[in-house]
Amino acid sequence: MSNETKLYKVIRYVFLVMASIFVIVPLIPLLFMAFKTGAEYSSTSVLQPPASFLNFYNFSYAIRVGKLGKAFLYTAIILTISLVIQVTMTCMVAYVLHRFDFMFKKVVMTMFTLTMFIPVVATQNLIFRMMYAVKLVNTMWSVIILYMGVGIVGIYIMLNQLDSISKEIDEAALIDGASYFYTFTHIVFPLMKPACTTMIIINGIGLYNDFYVPNLYLNRDVQTFTVALYKFFGSMSTPFEIVAAAIIIGMIPILIVFIFLQKYIYNGLAGSVKM
Amino acid sequence: MKIKKLSALALSILMAAGALTACGGGSEPANDNNAGGNDAAVGDNGGDSAGDSGDSAGGSGEIDAESLRGKTITLYTHGGNRVLGEEKKDENGNTYRDESYAYLKHLAEKFEEEYGIHVDLQVNSTEDDIRPLLQTQDPSIDIYTSPNWSIEEWQQYAEPYCTIDEAKELYGDYATTMYNDGTYIYALMPAKTYNNAVVYNEETIKKVGYDSIPTTQAEFEAMCEALREAGIDPIAMHRVENWPLSTINDFANYVAGSNDAYPSMLKSDTPFSESEPMGKTIRMYTDWKSRGFFEADIYTDFGVAMDSVGNGNAAMMLFGAWVVPQIQGRVPEGGDPNSIKFAPAPDFGKGQYVMASAADSYAISKGSDDKEAARLFIEYISEDAQYLADSGYIAMKKGVEPIVPDLYKIIDDAVEAGTCKVLYSYATDENSIHNEEVLTEASLLADVKYVGNLYDTIDVTKEPDWAAYDAQVEKQNAAYVEARDFLGYSWQ
Repeated sequence: MSNETKLYKVIRYVFLVMASIFVIVPLIPLLFMAFKTGAEYSSTSVLQPPASFLNFYNFSYAIRVGKLGKAFLYTAIILTISLVIQVTMTCMVAYVLHRFDFMFKKVVMTMFTLTMFIPVVATQNLIFRMMYAVKLVNTMWSVIILYMGVGIVGIYIMLNQLDSISKEIDEAALIDGASYFYTFTHIVFPLMKPACTTMIIINGIGLYNDFYVPNLYLNRDVQTFTVALYKFFGSMSTPFEIVAAAIIIGMIPILIVFIFLQKYIYNGLAGSVKM
Repeated sequence: MKIKKLSALALSILMAAGALTACGGGSEPANDNNAGGNDAAVGDNGGDSAGDSGDSAGGSGEIDAESLRGKTITLYTHGGNRVLGEEKKDENGNTYRDESYAYLKHLAEKFEEEYGIHVDLQVNSTEDDIRPLLQTQDPSIDIYTSPNWSIEEWQQYAEPYCTIDEAKELYGDYATTMYNDGTYIYALMPAKTYNNAVVYNEETIKKVGYDSIPTTQAEFEAMCEALREAGIDPIAMHRVENWPLSTINDFANYVAGSNDAYPSMLKSDTPFSESEPMGKTIRMYTDWKSRGFFEADIYTDFGVAMDSVGNGNAAMMLFGAWVVPQIQGRVPEGGDPNSIKFAPAPDFGKGQYVMASAADSYAISKGSDDKEAARLFIEYISEDAQYLADSGYIAMKKGVEPIVPDLYKIIDDAVEAGTCKVLYSYATDENSIHNEEVLTEASLLADVKYVGNLYDTIDVTKEPDWAAYDAQVEKQNAAYVEARDFLGYSWQ
């Protein structure tokens, strides 16, 4: 091994260790806070460990008072319905855009791309009024409808995947008498599973962490996790030790997803960004 | 491949947008249009939809309560502690909500028993949480308590409650300190309160030989020196946020001996110099900072700042009575919550004063389907002196026997004895609005920069650099005069 390679390796590891520290260090006070009593939190440094790591009071309080169980249920329902619809629709749109030539195809693509330049916040006043007019505010359906739309990033992920699926497969199926719908549902769609997994993970985490939309549309009886968490914030003071416990509870589903799906995450991300 | 190029472009844009969003997410835009305190605008008239406002401020007598039985109204409040209970610590030091302090919840239950109208209580943190509902005139919001709206927003979202003259009949001169546009009152404020003064822990100041807050500035500063020498933070300000700086406006009135120190800035070409009340007050605060009178540590949250007074690590806060019950709830087990007291600010040269105003606002949403039931509940609140006292306010409706909360005893006694004079804090004042516009034009209003920029010139870890402070004074004076002349405002 040459000296140059060794130096490169050292720099790489130093950089990676520093990056890890940047990510992990903010989580340590959060973990400490979650196990501290309120009195301990206000009288000790955030970097000082708690007196006991067996004080689960903040966790039980957050679940009970913040109704986090109910919030998780609503979050799961909203994410499941919106992601299933979003992924299915995105696959169908991408399939049509990739496999068929039609008038205004470029216009359609441009329109999808243009949506990226419009900030979500800019259109919310109008969209809120529309949702309000059809009486969907304060129901899960308002958020589901907003979440299930097809986005350009998803389309590009799917288009990249379709590049690797040979057109001959479609043609063979068509020659054998399969309809376009059958070809899509029974041949192409199953082959797009890696891209679908990537999209579910990327969008799922984004939607799970989203605060703006659910706080705008669901601020009463139906609450997602982020909105339930926000309810702990008072206009003047906030019990941060309880908020810390609630945040850690909120990280658990993401961790579980990561642990069980990490193979797909790495494969999917590598595949989706391959140019 | 074309698609790959496009996708690379799209992903780059998305990532850049994400990075920019993340950078901007940390700071909230300042609301420059607040009508809170004495900062509200004077509108031209009451708007065009004032026709069906109540005939009087005491309209409950005209409402057929029986016909409203069985209805449900929804009240959104920013005072979560009156719905969920006061935040306290148990014997193990864990945080919990003491529901015996959920006064509004108890009042709503009592109201339902008497009138058969259910009041659904919802808690909002800021005005932003309910703004979309008010903009769409959603009937699911009947009453709201959040007070920080511009006068245009009051007119747009709130049903005019009554005229100022009607309110004066029942609430006296305090009616003019309610949120109004010069003709109509938009939120009934059924109680009065004393504004920013000195909240202190009696047990803590006793440690350095004081039984009460000194009445002169020199003695007050001597007490602060003694506290600092004893290792106690004399004053907890919570500078990490900007809003605590705005209490300087009231202290400037005490320095001036009048209630117009803030709008009077318009009169001067050097409002931030020591020769003017506002400049003198900011200089005084900054001097206290340089002498170590404010906390050296950063409180991560206002709750922690209140804890520091509750547990004796700090001795005082310069805020309003609203903070007293919250600190009392934070006095550790074994301590006496009644040791948290409220006293007038010392005499800064013109005598001892305390600002007073109407308090505890309740507005009826324009979109409400049950305005009569909402009005009935607000009137019910205005007549419950115990609820208002429990909330830290003094009932003031004509015919209602007020109950003065213990926390006001020291100030009330001083007012009765004539040693402390009351100054009204007006909600509507044209000069205040013009001054606010000038400060906005000079980029000094958002985040209370007109105070913060000066206060932050002194670094307590170094030798005080008063030359830097004076340079900032000159800079702000110049910016202020330029903005005032540009807008063409002068004292009216």
